[in-house]
Amino acid sequence: MLTDAGGANPLAGAKKVVEIAQRNGYQGMKVGVVTGDDVLDQVMRMHADGFVFENLDNGDTEFELIKDRVVAANAYIGSDGMIEALAGGSDMVVAGRVSDNAMYVAPLMHEFGWTFDQPDKVGAAVTIGHLLECAALMNGSLSNFWAEAGDTWNIGFPFADVSEDGTAIFSKLPGTGGLVTEMTLKEQLVYEIADPSRYLMPDGIADFTKPHFQQLGKDVVKATGMTGIKRPDTLKVCVGYMDGWIGEAIAMFSWPNAREKAEKGAEIVRRRLDSLGVKPIDISYELMGVNTLHGPTAPEPKCEPNEVGLRIAARCNTREEADIVRREALHLWTLGGVGSAILPPGRPRPVIGLWPTLIPRSEVHIDVDVLTA
Amino acid sequence: MGRILADIAFARSGDKGDISNIGVIAKDPASFEELKSILTPERIKAHFKDWVKGDVLVYEMPNIEAFNVICKQALGGGATRTLRFDQTGKAMSTALLRMPIG
Repeated sequence: MLTDAGGANPLAGAKKVVEIAQRNGYQGMKVGVVTGDDVLDQVMRMHADGFVFENLDNGDTEFELIKDRVVAANAYIGSDGMIEALAGGSDMVVAGRVSDNAMYVAPLMHEFGWTFDQPDKVGAAVTIGHLLECAALMNGSLSNFWAEAGDTWNIGFPFADVSEDGTAIFSKLPGTGGLVTEMTLKEQLVYEIADPSRYLMPDGIADFTKPHFQQLGKDVVKATGMTGIKRPDTLKVCVGYMDGWIGEAIAMFSWPNAREKAEKGAEIVRRRLDSLGVKPIDISYELMGVNTLHGPTAPEPKCEPNEVGLRIAARCNTREEADIVRREALHLWTLGGVGSAILPPGRPRPVIGLWPTLIPRSEVHIDVDVLTA
Repeated sequence: MGRILADIAFARSGDKGDISNIGVIAKDPASFEELKSILTPERIKAHFKDWVKGDVLVYEMPNIEAFNVICKQALGGGATRTLRFDQTGKAMSTALLRMPIG
């Protein structure tokens, strides 16, 4: 079993696993620990030395503006450490921020003895990992085929039988919900990717414009033609920094004239915040039942709705301001039109802004330890 | 009644930071051919109006008769920062599916 459940403290996680193993009679069980993903020290030192950490999202290079608010910097490390831990006899591996993908690449490379000098084999492993890493998203959840996916309350976890030639047969356990078809694999192949001919992972760069899927039977699909090229010399790093607070609330307005009441509700909150001198960095008013999920692509409703929700969310510099937004929204309970309702809004939540960037692989030092229960 | 994208394609969207990726899968081979001229960056950006503030890129995946549509600066700042209810843009897929295709 391989997991990135170590979070911010993989060693503490592994020690807990050892403790549970001992309590349950699994003396001698080996638990690998993979660390080195925490690159906060390197990032801050390199920035001070003049290294430019470009924001991959928007090309921003003004890292100086966030450096005093940085709370974490973690590299998406690959399978190297987990392979080493498996070679050391680990029955379980607890890692920090490894790429989700690497948890599937590691056992394949370990079992078949593949190396990073075999880019097509690693490319196949990366592709198989991509298809499996979101669990049931490969077999009928979050799917266009949700209606024919059967008992998704009891959806099966997908697995792959992988051959040494780099082909794979995908399926799920009989008697479970969901479905495995060429279409559901296509849905997952296109999920959360950028350039499909260069799917960048720390272990390799897979080409998603090459694989073919073939239905072999009910809930059985074969994948062939998976290839890749050599892994990149850089690793992705997510730098997290404090970026204000969000205060939010949802109110509901009933027929008749639900939409008009919701729009007036937005006006009430806007004017009250103005009168208090609260100036959020950004604020949004979404009409639930009208445009919350589709925004400007949503057509005007053709009939009078039974009810319309108003969701107010504001990003503020301080927790105090975000809390005022929440409290002012709560006034809609009584200031709204007849038939208005509101749940007590939750407390303000901190915003961790993300600054995705790249770091040379040589700056990331992966450590592996194997504990014995 | 004019046709919409949902008549000839499926879609599924996900996020990476402030980038929304929308996979568009043709329902059949003929639809894949038709989609090649329909799915232009200009048309997609115009459809999303001010929700997509950055560039739109479209990649073909002929092996699975699909396309990957990349929309930059499209999620109100990204999952941890956005004020949108749909923080990771899971409904960007169905929003694109309602695009008129004539």
